[in-house]
Amino acid sequence: MTVRHRVGRLLAGLLAVATVVGAAGCGADDQALPDHRIPADPPRPVGMRDPAVVPSAATNSPGSCNPRASLRPTGPLPPPRQMPARTAMARIVQRGRLVVGVDQNSYQFGFRDPLTGELAGFDIDIAREIARGLFGDPDRIQFRAISSADRIRVVKDGTVDMVVRTMTMNCERWQEVSFSTEYFTAGQRILVTRGSGIESIAQLRGKKVCAADGSTSIRNIAAAGTVPVSVVNWTDCLVLLQQNQVVAVSTDDSILAGLAAQDPNTQVVGPRFSDEPYGIAISKASPELVRFVNAVLEKIRADGTWTRIYNRWLRSLGPAPAPPKAQYRD
Amino acid sequence: MGLHGSAVSAVSGRPVVPPSRPRAVLHRVTAPLRHTPGRLTAIMAAVVALGVLFGATALVGVRQRAALVRGVTVRSGELLVAAQNLYRALSDADATAASAFLSNGLEPPELRARYQQDLADAAAALTVVSAATDGRSIAAVARITARLPVYSGLIETARSYNRQGLPLGVAYLQEASGLMREELLPAAQELYAAASAELDAARDRAAGFPWVATLFGLTTLGALGLAQVYLTRRTNRLLNVGLLVSTGAAVLLLGWLIASAVAAAVYLKASRDDGSAQMNLLAEARIAGLQARADEALTLVARGNGAAFEQHYVVVMQRLAGADGDGGLLGEALAAASDQPTRQAVEEAIAQCRAWITAHRQVRALDDRGEFNEAVRATVGPGDRTTAAIFSRLDEALAQAITHNGQRFEREATSAGRALTGADVGFVALTVLVLAGAVVGMQRRIMEYR
Repeated sequence: MTVRHRVGRLLAGLLAVATVVGAAGCGADDQALPDHRIPADPPRPVGMRDPAVVPSAATNSPGSCNPRASLRPTGPLPPPRQMPARTAMARIVQRGRLVVGVDQNSYQFGFRDPLTGELAGFDIDIAREIARGLFGDPDRIQFRAISSADRIRVVKDGTVDMVVRTMTMNCERWQEVSFSTEYFTAGQRILVTRGSGIESIAQLRGKKVCAADGSTSIRNIAAAGTVPVSVVNWTDCLVLLQQNQVVAVSTDDSILAGLAAQDPNTQVVGPRFSDEPYGIAISKASPELVRFVNAVLEKIRADGTWTRIYNRWLRSLGPAPAPPKAQYRD
Repeated sequence: MGLHGSAVSAVSGRPVVPPSRPRAVLHRVTAPLRHTPGRLTAIMAAVVALGVLFGATALVGVRQRAALVRGVTVRSGELLVAAQNLYRALSDADATAASAFLSNGLEPPELRARYQQDLADAAAALTVVSAATDGRSIAAVARITARLPVYSGLIETARSYNRQGLPLGVAYLQEASGLMREELLPAAQELYAAASAELDAARDRAAGFPWVATLFGLTTLGALGLAQVYLTRRTNRLLNVGLLVSTGAAVLLLGWLIASAVAAAVYLKASRDDGSAQMNLLAEARIAGLQARADEALTLVARGNGAAFEQHYVVVMQRLAGADGDGGLLGEALAAASDQPTRQAVEEAIAQCRAWITAHRQVRALDDRGEFNEAVRATVGPGDRTTAAIFSRLDEALAQAITHNGQRFEREATSAGRALTGADVGFVALTVLVLAGAVVGMQRRIMEYR
């Protein structure tokens, strides 16, 4: 045990300590930078469900009625403002305006023109023709924007004179309200991107297809073997189609027409695979008003007004077909 | 070397060690202590050692505390403000973008400018927050950084569709708002909570009591007292001037140490109670107001499909103002308001909030009746009775109160720092006095024995 040995050992020890301290000191600078990968998922519309909940099959029995058959008009239209006494029409004329429940959210059928804030669309123009029949003035009309669920209630409780709101006539609804003759024939079709090569629902097997939450359209596309994706509003489906989150949108062509009109890169294709006759809902207590409205519809079918309105709003569905034929039950 | 060497050889060489050996070593080491001068020297050494420890811990402690207090004001306080700005700017962007959609197609230029300012503010605040954020919150920063451009992209898409008069614009606006509410705002809230927790932690550290230095101070005083007693007994002299000076300096040092720490802690507590705590409450209220404003606009913009937004409005409004308009966050803020300007601003906010609730009911009644254009006029139309005008007065009142309490926070935190001013220099001077007094006082007595 010599002095030199001890000094050597001491130096070695100091060196070891210095190394440890040095390493500790450097630690802060050597720290790895944070690593965070964010998935580049496209954003999702609020309330989107993928896959959608498929509603259970409808419980309403088809019934033994013809939902298209309405009440026959009594003779020609009376001149404007000269309605038979003690009828619903006379009361409306006396009030000075027709009150109609409409949609404000269905582009091309009933919607707020964002530029003016006014309601416009196919349904709105049809309603204006009825006001023209009553008053000789299509502007003698007050619109009430109503939700789909409120359509029957507002007719029954007299909040509105009638509802013109993409409403399918069926036997179940005939129990609650009366309908005019058919003024538009809708059916479920598909909306796809132009040039996608898709022509029918059969080509969408296993692919994502969008429809609104809780709609019967979901049931139809699920039955066709597609993967249904649901959203709250129909326009959200077009957002998903534009963002490549779905391959197609499928519902009534009346709604698809409104979507196609907003994006020239999309088109409505394929045959109709459901039948939805649209009618104007009127209180069961006013059969004379139903007959009057049917007379107005006869007139606009015959004089080309119906075709003019169709071409104004629904050009994206192709050239105007012949107006739906009136069917009567009496 | 001899002592050590023989010990080694005793361990390694001969196993039999005489039992008297260690005691002999102890005897030799303690030999000087059996005589008064040796004892005096030992006492002096002990007093000096304790004094040095006392002075050093006090000095290091006060410097650390000053750094922590500075951290509270310039780092944690600024971080909290940045996190709050981020959260507010994002909420404001959501509300402003939705309001701009109410004005049929062509949005008012001032709303567009406000939206752009919000994005710029958010980006600036995000830069500060991400520079200051540690490992735990980095995920939230990354989420905002990744999603903010996606959000603004959706808003621009919505805007161009809206200018073409297409309802598709509303769908994009709603998707953007959903992204904001489901991803961006929760991340911003997380960052805000983290910044708030960091401020509290920094404040607690800076307001801690100097236990170690106080313990050494008391021990030093005790040792000085014992030395005094010993000297009085040995030399029959009642007072030793050196030790008196030393004791006085030690008492001063201890007093200053405790007083400065307590003062700093009191100011720091005030910076929370009269500053940041109220600021937090007010900021939360302001953000709730912005969300309710966004909900109101989104409900109208949804054109009859906005029930979900109206439900959210009801929930947020309940949180902001309680069930009857004077509870909720605003009620809490009023109860916590600790000065007149804050109370006045919160009272103004509560009054505006009540007016808003009434005006909102009218807007809903109009919209539910299908009178959309009238509902929009009651929301963003001209005049000072629209919900937009009422909301901006509410927002203004809260913004004022937040600024005011931010200033109070800064004032109190700065006072906390000022309570420590000069302490380091003073502590060094007093420590020198403690040591010098003890050495001089005792050295003189020791000399008398030579």
